[in-house]
Amino acid sequence: MSLSINTACKNPSASSILVVGIFICVTMIAAAQDAPLRVPSNAVAGQAASISTTGSGSATFYLRGPSISLKRDVQLGQTIDLTVKQLQAAGRYVAVLCAGDCSSAAFFVASGKPAVLTFLVHPSRAPVGSNDVISGVALPFDQFRNLILAPETIQFQLTPKGSAPTLRSVPTHDGVAWFRTGSGKSAGALQISASLSDIVARRVVQQVASDPCNLRIKGQRTAKGILVETEPVRDCSGNPVPDGTIVTFTAKNGQDVSFVDAPVKQDVARAILAAKGPVVVSAASGVATGNELRLGGQE
Amino acid sequence: MIFCQLKYHAWLRVSATPVLVLLSSLGLFAADNPPQVTLDASKASPRSVETLTQRAIIRDYKFAWTSLDSALESNSAGPLSGLFAGTANTWLREEISSQQSSGITSHYLNQHHKLEAVFYAPVGDVIELHDTAEYDFEIHDGGKTIHSEHAIVRYVVLMTPGADRWVIRQLQAVLQF
Repeated sequence: MSLSINTACKNPSASSILVVGIFICVTMIAAAQDAPLRVPSNAVAGQAASISTTGSGSATFYLRGPSISLKRDVQLGQTIDLTVKQLQAAGRYVAVLCAGDCSSAAFFVASGKPAVLTFLVHPSRAPVGSNDVISGVALPFDQFRNLILAPETIQFQLTPKGSAPTLRSVPTHDGVAWFRTGSGKSAGALQISASLSDIVARRVVQQVASDPCNLRIKGQRTAKGILVETEPVRDCSGNPVPDGTIVTFTAKNGQDVSFVDAPVKQDVARAILAAKGPVVVSAASGVATGNELRLGGQE
Repeated sequence: MIFCQLKYHAWLRVSATPVLVLLSSLGLFAADNPPQVTLDASKASPRSVETLTQRAIIRDYKFAWTSLDSALESNSAGPLSGLFAGTANTWLREEISSQQSSGITSHYLNQHHKLEAVFYAPVGDVIELHDTAEYDFEIHDGGKTIHSEHAIVRYVVLMTPGADRWVIRQLQAVLQF
């Protein structure tokens, strides 16, 4: 339908309806903003607060917040008290007062004082001598588990076994403080703590030997075959590798090649190779290879 | 005369369009659209947010807000299952429980969320987002709307990876970032 035809037969009352409608909408919004209640301007979680009202007569009060929704009858002109429990969650609250028409106002509740420190540390086991392998993240919360966004300084303390502790002070940004560090040279427990005032969270990272290094093997013929064993298997820092670390022994006799996997047990891996004739035995674990062992043939 | 009345009705149809647009923009005639979520991860540190992770966060955050609205509108905690954890989960369930007690429901309409990743942990086990959310928020008591506003609210959000999705652990509205 073209606009020119509409204009030709336009009913003047339609445009009046539109103008009146807009006027009503604007009036409603203006009325809603003129709220007869005054909400707290600096509310803090864990602290009671109050909302003052104006006018007279009875009304219905509503409070809607992050963890609460309440409704109660109130008298206009009196103060509405909000308890600690009603304001324990930080966030945005909307207070509504209905006495015929409804008026509303929003306010914010901020986090309280630090009471809990969430401390995430990874990994639980770290190989020695690795760069930036250990990291920790600390987040301060108040007693109601509201994240504290105001800057706080977290003290990280790292104490390797048998060594002096090292300290780092890290301020929180957006409620988070973090660090990253390499592992030490010696295997053992690394105690890590994060503290804020008298709140302390402790974690332990077990520093373990890295990959085996410089494998050395020795062997001899026995009635059952060739008994080969490693010398104590250690990483490049001299830490004994954990039990269960696999060492692969290889026996070559011309074109014949046989393999035996053996776990390290009390620092040493042992295996019996059922090879006959002259053989060359070698060992490998991870990226480390050992010396070659030549044994003569025996019938 | 009949021809003129037909044309008059057509004029009303054409005229009604801007009126509806106006009413909609005022939040008086709001449509229930799915949340719109965007994520800017360019400032995330110390770890950068991988593209697939960004997609997963957008998907899960959007679904979480859809479910949050559904839960608060229906006064049922069911839709929250598996999407919220920790403090966020506790608070939302308390809110639904108290809404049930007071006979109130609430509704988030026309949601637009602009997420900015501000911290992504070195091993990727927690991400902090700043959400500048814009929506129409309504509170109902029975069949009566007692509060209706178009709000822009800033949220600090902590999300952690779960078994198959990112879950919201903290959803805290703040006055300023």
